[in-house]
Amino acid sequence: MAALDAGAHDALRVAGLAALMAAALLLLTANLWRIQVRTVGKFDQDAVEQSTRALRVPGARGRLLARGGEVLADNRPACNVALDLAVFRRAGRWARTVDEVLRELDELRHIIGRPPSLTAADIDRHIQSRLPMPLIAWRDLSPEELARFMEQADGRPGVDVVVEPVRAYPQGSRAAHVLGYVGRAGGDAEDKRTYQFVLSESEGRAGLEKRWNKELCGQPGTARLDVDVTGFRRGLTVERSPEPGADLHLTLDLRIQKLAEAALGDMPGAIVMLDPNCGDVLAMASAPGFDPNAFLPVFSASLWETLNQDPAKPMLNRAMSEVYAPGSVFKPVVASAALSSGRVTTETLFECAGYAVIGGLRIRCWNTAGHGSVALRRGIEQSCNAYFAQAGAQCGWDAIYELARRMGFGQPTGIDGYYEVAGVLPNDAWKRQHWHEGWRLGDTANCSIGQGALAVTPLQMAAATAALANGGRVFRPRFVRGVQRAGEAAPAWLAPVLVRDLQWKPELARAVRQGMYDVIMSPTGTGRRARIEGAALAGKTGTAEFGVKGSGSKHTWMIVFGPYEAPRYALAMLFEQGDSGGSTVAPRVRRLMQSVMDGAEELAPDGSHT
Amino acid sequence: MARIHDMWRLWLRQNWWMTAAIVALLVVGVLFIHSATHLRTDRTRFLDIQQIRWAMGGMAVYWATIWLDYRRLRDAAWAFYGLVVALLVAVLVVGAKIYGARRWLTAFGLVVQPSELAKLAVIVTLATWLAARGRGATPPSIWKAFALAALPMALILKEPDLGTALVFVPITMAMLFTGGASWRPLLALIVAGALAVTALLSIVLLPEMLDMRPERQEALFHRVGLSHYQRDRIEVFLRPDSDPLGAGWNRRQSEIAIGSGGMWGRGYMQGRQNLLGFLPRTVSPTDFIFAVIAEETGFAGDAALLGLYVVLLGCGLMAALQAPDLMGRVLCVGITTLIFSHVFINVAMTGGLLPVTGIPLPLVSYGGTFLVSTLFTLGLVQSVHVRKAG
Repeated sequence: MAALDAGAHDALRVAGLAALMAAALLLLTANLWRIQVRTVGKFDQDAVEQSTRALRVPGARGRLLARGGEVLADNRPACNVALDLAVFRRAGRWARTVDEVLRELDELRHIIGRPPSLTAADIDRHIQSRLPMPLIAWRDLSPEELARFMEQADGRPGVDVVVEPVRAYPQGSRAAHVLGYVGRAGGDAEDKRTYQFVLSESEGRAGLEKRWNKELCGQPGTARLDVDVTGFRRGLTVERSPEPGADLHLTLDLRIQKLAEAALGDMPGAIVMLDPNCGDVLAMASAPGFDPNAFLPVFSASLWETLNQDPAKPMLNRAMSEVYAPGSVFKPVVASAALSSGRVTTETLFECAGYAVIGGLRIRCWNTAGHGSVALRRGIEQSCNAYFAQAGAQCGWDAIYELARRMGFGQPTGIDGYYEVAGVLPNDAWKRQHWHEGWRLGDTANCSIGQGALAVTPLQMAAATAALANGGRVFRPRFVRGVQRAGEAAPAWLAPVLVRDLQWKPELARAVRQGMYDVIMSPTGTGRRARIEGAALAGKTGTAEFGVKGSGSKHTWMIVFGPYEAPRYALAMLFEQGDSGGSTVAPRVRRLMQSVMDGAEELAPDGSHT
Repeated sequence: MARIHDMWRLWLRQNWWMTAAIVALLVVGVLFIHSATHLRTDRTRFLDIQQIRWAMGGMAVYWATIWLDYRRLRDAAWAFYGLVVALLVAVLVVGAKIYGARRWLTAFGLVVQPSELAKLAVIVTLATWLAARGRGATPPSIWKAFALAALPMALILKEPDLGTALVFVPITMAMLFTGGASWRPLLALIVAGALAVTALLSIVLLPEMLDMRPERQEALFHRVGLSHYQRDRIEVFLRPDSDPLGAGWNRRQSEIAIGSGGMWGRGYMQGRQNLLGFLPRTVSPTDFIFAVIAEETGFAGDAALLGLYVVLLGCGLMAALQAPDLMGRVLCVGITTLIFSHVFINVAMTGGLLPVTGIPLPLVSYGGTFLVSTLFTLGLVQSVHVRKAG
């Protein structure tokens, strides 16, 4: 300091400068403290938010199991070839990256042996909206394709085999209408708020797959993708593992299901077999059918279109999604109502002259010679139209309507499957609403023989048959008897649902049952061709005209329960075309019931047992 | 032999605290340039190696400068000043345009940033001029001193490089202040400056607040001479959320980076903002290196970094205090203020206290010209220090 005269003066100024600098640096430090320490978490959250994307990872879809544990719907691993776009990123315009990807795809095409399912536009769209996700170029490699890929392309940078679970139906078209099929889920609005990306997930589109979709799906998991500023993936952390969906234990008996489908063959028709003691659907078949595997691994809209426009309607579940005039199979319901009303007894006789005239309407009996004086039991056995037209008229439609309603007609049975129709159970109000005229006695007569506006599903018919078999207890038919959540050792069994007990007097029930017994067991019964060895069956045939009168278009029916004393099976069988219930359906019922009772596996083509 | 021995003794007299702080800052710089660039696939991946080369060269310059008697700069000062002005003119004519500004000159395979040399030139020339006037006479003319600084400043503003140009103001002031200028006009200048800044902000903000039509606003800005990018930056500074993806991006991202560092940071080479490229890759090893350090080492790390600068600045001011003559003193003050201005503007900018402007962090940011010229100026401080009396 001695070197300068004004040392002290200068020192003061330098010290002032130092103080200024110190104050400024203190200000900076305070600011850093404010940002880094005081506002804890906020910026951290911002940083994580802008550099991560939430990914929804679906849980494995639950299986569908037949009564014996056989797997009806399963998941199989499909091998997809996926590209990591970050590896093919080229500087500059995105088009250069697209070109690079296309070049790679072209090379892989020669190795895999089929063209990729991608266009330049697809790649562009992927870059725009799903950049951090792998770009799937080939789906579901065959074992040969996979082998070629592993041999020649394994380890190629940015190319990987990604395994994706795909729905599979090991039994093919078996019970297809019941099981339904799946498609790719679109994701709901809530998911779109929570997740930026959703891994493709199967979603039920029909059948049990749709109705039980929520249980089958399980709980999705979440993964966090780390992305850089351009949106490429840099890492992936699983935040929450997905939980697999529940397995559904179905009431379907695979053996009976097979027999039922064989009994239908290719003829358009339907079979429903219930356990009359609980409403379990042992079998439900509809013909013609389809193979739900055809919609996998990728749902094809064109195939769906083709199947949907097929005049044979293979996608339609005729057992519960379509209605038919019941014809004579409705008569046991009328008989029960007549007896319950007290206006008709088992001894009440009605004349059959080959026809009867009710309310000015001439009701013809199939037996043009006439049955003479007919009481209830023979009326059922002979399916005498004249008897039922008169008995119905005497009882009055209101009583029949009431019982039929309580037995489940005119409304969905409430089965736990997908898409059930209500059918039509007409009465005065209904007729006024739809036809704008009042109910007439002729309507009563017509409906009492199962014609007129009556329309039922085979499922409703089977449920009514079950009630006739068990003495008047109406169960809600069901497909699912147990739900087994992931990780649980045993399924949670669901209790059968008794909708109502009709509280029939025993003698009433017995009288109708006896008539139905005679239908099959009497040598003159209309359903005698359904008789089997070793067990007594009871039932009713039906032949319902439809369309233009006299066109000869007939639905042919048969309902059956057995064994007679302690029924275990209640069956409704329908063909959309046939000669009569007794000639078209009864022989098929015989073969079916014989095999079911015998415990046989399959029907041989000639109808004998294997 | 004796001569070499004397040189060795002189060299040993350097302020080792200062040298230690410099080496520490250089190491920190190289480490975090590495962190910011190690994931890259182009040639900027090797900026860390490049920086090591510059640092070693710079240290050689630094240590050699100790032997250069700062008093001998008097002879070269005006010539140097003239050369720098020529270079600044040249850069406007033939300079390489990078990111919309002409700041770099390529000569003999070397990329030079004349504006960095200009700071050095102004400091040396100003010191020479102040010392030549001597003490005791009338206080030095503030206007003459500012005229000296104004020429290179104007040329740099023209590049445009507002940040670098502004650095000349505190340097000139500090040197005048220490050089004996009376403090009243200096204070008046500061007040005038503050008023000018306020006026500038009003011009940027008022038209919109008064609901002026866009065309008229545009015409007004044109008349005042505010370019688009200057206006945008001021806007963004005042209203950071107005344009988070455009001009506000850097500011917002650097704030997120610093803030998410917390107390202890995310860890070396673990910064999300850094690694995932949210801190733009062009600036993360240069002007925004502080954000990288803050994100990865937290408040603990960046406060320690500021501590290193405190040591460095302290040594600079100590050298000024103990300088044997006026030239040495104002030289040290000028250089210390230069370092300080850069640190302050850079840290305040990355921390959101000042508008974003292209000012590197001395000794830490990537950049060859600035690193070597900074080390040369620090060598000058040592040159003053080793020649202190007693």
